[in-house]
Amino acid sequence: MHNMMHHQPLSGKELDYISDSISNEDLLVKQCAVAAHNSSNPAVQQLCTQMLREHHQHIQMLTQSLQHHQSIAPYQIQ
Amino acid sequence: MYSQQQGQQQQHAGGVMQDKDMLFTILTDLKRTVGEYTTATTEAACPMVRQMFMELQNHSLRMQGDLYNFMQQNNMYTKPQPALKQAIDKQIQQVQQNHQQMDQFVQQQLNGGGQSLSFLAHTQAQATQHTNSGKNPYYM
Repeated sequence: MHNMMHHQPLSGKELDYISDSISNEDLLVKQCAVAAHNSSNPAVQQLCTQMLREHHQHIQMLTQSLQHHQSIAPYQIQ
Repeated sequence: MYSQQQGQQQQHAGGVMQDKDMLFTILTDLKRTVGEYTTATTEAACPMVRQMFMELQNHSLRMQGDLYNFMQQNNMYTKPQPALKQAIDKQIQQVQQNHQQMDQFVQQQLNGGGQSLSFLAHTQAQATQHTNSGKNPYYM
């Protein structure tokens, strides 16, 4: 089972999904920042700041996954 | 053209609306993102990538729920109208009819209708209990 959990090279599809996900999370971070900045309601500010942090963590997770797969990616398709 | 007072009221109303609109946009994007994480999970070949997408989907789903609750508590999201009892009754009736056809189909496929399918009987018993109809045991 542990062997199963080792990284395998990313497929083109997986790369596309990770890339799209980073774009989605990036947009959410920006939206949360705008909402937190523009709202005069402290509860909204707090909620949006918290969500901003969490979306930021998602981007880190996705980026780390790319980095982990970087070293095992083939240079050319065999 | 607004008088100054009307303008101030508008501005105030605009402020409240703005929060609602901004949060609604975030909620919509969260819903879309959750959907995309689900698709990404099903398409992942690497177990680590699959695991990551599942975690991100779960986490995003929780955030979407939290945001929805916040909006509802702050009157920014109108609760959907309840479905009428007649509509639910109709659906249950439809499901029961379909279930009967499905059972017949499955029995034909599996054994030509000879053997009793205890797992289907169990499912039906549960369905009957839920609908509280107490009758319509259409196979047996």
